[in-house]
Amino acid sequence: MRRSTAAAVGTLTGAALIIGVRLSVTPAAAPVAEAPPPVDVADNSSPSTAPAKGGASAPAKKKEAAKSGLKDGNIQGKKIQYPYGAIQVTLKIESGSIIDVAATYPLAGDSATINPRAIPALKQEVLKAQSDKIAAVSGATYTSAAYLKSLQSALDAAKA
Amino acid sequence: MGTVVSIELADDQPPEQLRGMVVEVCDWLHEVDRRFSTYKAESEVSRLQRGEITLAECSPDMRHVLDVCADLWRDTDGYFDAYAGGSLDPSGYVKGWSVEVASARLAAAGSARHYINAGGDIRMRGGNPDGEPWRVGIRHPWEADKVSWVLAVTEGAVATSGTYERGHHVINPRTGKPAHGLRSVTVVGPDLSVADAYATAALAMGEAGISWLAKQAADGYQSAVVTDDGRAFSSADLPAAV
Repeated sequence: MRRSTAAAVGTLTGAALIIGVRLSVTPAAAPVAEAPPPVDVADNSSPSTAPAKGGASAPAKKKEAAKSGLKDGNIQGKKIQYPYGAIQVTLKIESGSIIDVAATYPLAGDSATINPRAIPALKQEVLKAQSDKIAAVSGATYTSAAYLKSLQSALDAAKA
Repeated sequence: MGTVVSIELADDQPPEQLRGMVVEVCDWLHEVDRRFSTYKAESEVSRLQRGEITLAECSPDMRHVLDVCADLWRDTDGYFDAYAGGSLDPSGYVKGWSVEVASARLAAAGSARHYINAGGDIRMRGGNPDGEPWRVGIRHPWEADKVSWVLAVTEGAVATSGTYERGHHVINPRTGKPAHGLRSVTVVGPDLSVADAYATAALAMGEAGISWLAKQAADGYQSAVVTDDGRAFSSADLPAAV
């Protein structure tokens, strides 16, 4: 299998062409493994607290072996409020050990302020932050500077 | 204002041939830039703006671009407006159109599987090197190194407009003021220029854009939206990979 990857840098003010750009951007390493069960904000049944069975409230930053006593399954931590919404951490437990940590960036807004009649046919859902294996990234990348910071540039660098 | 184009060819062909195809795509995109850039005084667009040439004297490409811009203006209730900034600027259509043309030319030249990503707006054809759908991430509107959705697309286009990079730069043509309400709008559908125009139009509409986008699903254009306050919406048929 042969593949060819190239990036052309063009500008609307003056064009420059670069083929086979190499960029010193490392692909973002991502800790997210499995998406936690989405919280249905729309139906407002569990607006801010997750079924915190294990009571895990501290967002673990990295994998660590847990002392036993943790039940297998997914444990959701408390939501932590940020200016743009809440972050919720999910721990995945297997054989009593934390095998993965995932953070969601749920939502924001008070579900209470959402007028159901204002919500049209698009279904409302939890905004997740994922890091799956992807080939390309769609985003509002208008400038070359933004491109350099983008996931797409990391993908291009990895393949160049 | 610059834009960056990434091209991936997944065809099993000699590297020289693939390289040749990439060069042709780059040549075409630069030609489009020369002819349609509003930043270049001698471009066809600039000359038309200044009245140095008439519509009748324009190239067939220019007449096509203006025709479609007029169609899109109607289809989007006036929210996609090539004159939103006061003078003619069809860039919002030209980018998607030029990539559509480039992808069609690649296909004609023998590339069955590729994608072209122009500043975050992507046209895919024929699946990835493993023969599976391309996995396309949609940038998380607050976490630049994360994606908020992952789509599986074999054939078609994904366009995203957002305010997270340049601020509220999209003008609501009805009010003449910057649009507010939506932070990121992604449209998935068969044609990149239409998907791009719809994404920009919805951003200009603000929250009303969510309802408007929902109606476009019937024509094959699915969408995923994040509001300024972090609510997320997506079409039932969004080709989400996970």
